[in-house]
Amino acid sequence: MNEGAYVQEIFGIPFNISNDLPGLLTAIIVFFTMFWLSRRIQLKPTGRQNVLEWIIDFTNGIIKSTMPNKEGSQFGLLIFTLFSFIFVSNQLGLMLQVNVNNIDYIRSPTADAMTTMVLAFMVLLLAHFLGVKKFGFKGYFKNTYLSPIPFLLPLSVLEEFTNFLTLALRLYGNIYSGEVLLKLIYEFGRSFGIASFIPAIPLELVWQGFSVFIGSIQAYVFVTLTMVYISQKIEKE
Amino acid sequence: MSPDFILGAATTVKWGDMLFYLILFIVLLALLKHYAWGPVNEMMEKRAAKIANDIDSAEDARQKAEDLAKQRQEALKESHVEASQIIERAKKNGEQQKNVIVDNAHSEAQSIKETAKQDITRERQDALEGVKNDVAELSLEIASKVISKNLQLDNQKALIDSYIEGLGKQNEVK
Repeated sequence: MNEGAYVQEIFGIPFNISNDLPGLLTAIIVFFTMFWLSRRIQLKPTGRQNVLEWIIDFTNGIIKSTMPNKEGSQFGLLIFTLFSFIFVSNQLGLMLQVNVNNIDYIRSPTADAMTTMVLAFMVLLLAHFLGVKKFGFKGYFKNTYLSPIPFLLPLSVLEEFTNFLTLALRLYGNIYSGEVLLKLIYEFGRSFGIASFIPAIPLELVWQGFSVFIGSIQAYVFVTLTMVYISQKIEKE
Repeated sequence: MSPDFILGAATTVKWGDMLFYLILFIVLLALLKHYAWGPVNEMMEKRAAKIANDIDSAEDARQKAEDLAKQRQEALKESHVEASQIIERAKKNGEQQKNVIVDNAHSEAQSIKETAKQDITRERQDALEGVKNDVAELSLEIASKVISKNLQLDNQKALIDSYIEGLGKQNEVK
């Protein structure tokens, strides 16, 4: 999964630049888009503000579907940022791929398992932390592992790991496979000159369109599952 | 250039990415909160509050308008009743006043008539009295004149006597 990676060591810590650079680019795109959308905020929304409020309403809707009470509103910013970051990440590799000497510089950040695992780890850690914060360690343990029946404890412990892995690998698999197929079609287009280049164009177009769809769905699924896991931890079953 | 085998494993975990993405995400979170999420969310909340406020005040205004209309209706009804009462009262007052005026006029006329009658009788009395006095004076004057001129004339003694007799007779007739 790291073929053609450019790894740089800083203070003895290995950084995969071909993973970090697109992440940085994604963050910059997200920030400046939102920054641009949020200029001239008015009580009566117009133009760009409407777009931003539509996005916020959408992410707030995701929260409300899992946590209908007032408690959910504190996750608004997290879900909003998470959704916009993953959404842009998923689409980035479809529009822009920079590969120099077989080393990737720009692609989807979420096409790397490391990225998705970090995100999944972060939100699950947050979920567990909030669970402990709300119920105390004892209540958290009882709520998470001993309910509904105590003898399912091993399964419950296992579930926490599978939650983490499925959350991360689902996103990674979808985006990575999409990019692999994009690259395959690109290789096919190059292989026989003009004879394969022309049929490759609509093929690539169709797959890109489908990948946009998949990327949006996966971003939605990721944040929805994030809210589900968080609500499992902070609500008594 | 290829420190892929840094941990001695076939594939190393680039755990720097983890730090990188954690920091990146947190920084992005903070920046979005400060520049986009915060102001927009605040504005949305303000708008929600304003809308709720507007709905409440609209309800208030509607209630007030309804109350006013009801009050007006009641006032109108009351004023109708009052107007008819006033007319009734005015009629009664007019009737009463008419009676009083007529009665007054009657009694005044009566009293005027009375005083007029009294005056007339008194005038007559006075006139009679005056005439009586005048007659007496006149007769005295006549008598004195007659006496002063013709007293010495014995032949006219009979005439004077007859005069006096006549006066006495006149007095008797009265």
